[in-house]
Amino acid sequence: MQKFSLNRRLVIIIVCVIVSFALMTVSVAVRNKKATPPLVQQFGNDIVGLVDRVVAIPTNGLSGSVSSISELLNTYQENQQLKKQVSELAQTKVRDQTLAKENKQLKKEISLNSSLTDYTAVTASVITRTPSSWQNQVVINKGASAGVTKNMPVMSGSGLIGRVAEVNKTNSKVELITDNNDTANRFAVQISTKSGKTVNGVLSGYNANTGQVTMNNITTKAKITKGDKVVTSGLGGVTPKGLYVGTVAKASGDDYGLSTKLYITPATDLSDLNIVTVAVTKQ
Amino acid sequence: MYRLSKLRFGFPVFLFLALFLDGAVSQVFSVQMFRYPTTMISHLVVLWLVCGVIFEADGAFDMPLARWAAVAGAVFDLYYTGIFGVYVFIFPLVIYVTRQLVAWISPNFLSGLLIYFIDIAVVEGLGYLASRAVHLNDAAGSAFLVNTLGPTLAFNLAMFVILYFPIRWVYNWLK
Repeated sequence: MQKFSLNRRLVIIIVCVIVSFALMTVSVAVRNKKATPPLVQQFGNDIVGLVDRVVAIPTNGLSGSVSSISELLNTYQENQQLKKQVSELAQTKVRDQTLAKENKQLKKEISLNSSLTDYTAVTASVITRTPSSWQNQVVINKGASAGVTKNMPVMSGSGLIGRVAEVNKTNSKVELITDNNDTANRFAVQISTKSGKTVNGVLSGYNANTGQVTMNNITTKAKITKGDKVVTSGLGGVTPKGLYVGTVAKASGDDYGLSTKLYITPATDLSDLNIVTVAVTKQ
Repeated sequence: MYRLSKLRFGFPVFLFLALFLDGAVSQVFSVQMFRYPTTMISHLVVLWLVCGVIFEADGAFDMPLARWAAVAGAVFDLYYTGIFGVYVFIFPLVIYVTRQLVAWISPNFLSGLLIYFIDIAVVEGLGYLASRAVHLNDAAGSAFLVNTLGPTLAFNLAMFVILYFPIRWVYNWLK
């Protein structure tokens, strides 16, 4: 009797492990290949997302009010600094508007409807964050009904923070560039060097120890220096051109000395995200 | 007794509250908890389940804990991670491990701390192995021990110390 129950337990454990692996493999495959998750999962996630808002909105509101009190203390100094910046910004903004208008007219003249730089911004707020150290994801409160589709780039503050990994009707998951799985953070980017040359490449990973994004396999002769700006190049799909990623922190030879490896400091603090912007491109 | 008590409805409500609070805590304190490379993961839902087992032994009543653990695991997988089939098995396993341990050592505050230590190590260890197996991370074992398991254990044991008596009060109130 004792032996029988031990055998049965072993069988149950093995069956559970096999089923678990099968389910994981299927869901990873679905996540990598399909544009949306299965309908049941989508529906479930929408409902859970709605319920989660009941918990998330009060807690986020509470933290917001606490931080606003602490921010109140250095308001005066900040205000003076910001005033200076605003007057400069107004000038830039007017110029930007004029240029955008001119750009539109010129595009019309050569009958070019949309180019790589065109996108509309959808602003979303972060509901919750995945409590896991393997998946750096946040759940945002905009989904397919707001025009978000899979793989769209997401920005916060001044820079790129990640891409949409899963879309439900009313919420979606954003995979941050700090995530190091096989499909995360591969953005096509370009660097304009001081000498005016453009270097193209693909982001290849995230170095958690230094907090820097890495970029491998650059074979150009152009000299890349510290402080060069990295922006998305718009090549190869849904990411529009010209989203700011960060600045070059260090350029060094890679492990075999054949190509250059870049370390890029991200433009935004990737652990403090509240409001994000999804760049929606017309496809 | 379980059928008649407030626990029948109260238990799932607090279970899901704990589940959503995990995400909310991670979001609100993300600057402190996700200070790369170290990460602290909040496991309040595991705390609620483990306390369920401990007070179940205390108060001599039975609850369908493993079933609710599987439900919480399924929601965790689908809503938080998007990879189904990880926590839906790990959470019931934690219930099983805790029941075995509770049969060995009579649970109180201090032995509960020890049990919870083992449970968190099981959750994090198996979670690491599972995500490693499907190529969701490429962290080395030593990096996992230092950067994730250590801080996570510290955080969750602190939460156990803080929340043990409030949770016991809630269970007694629901009973």
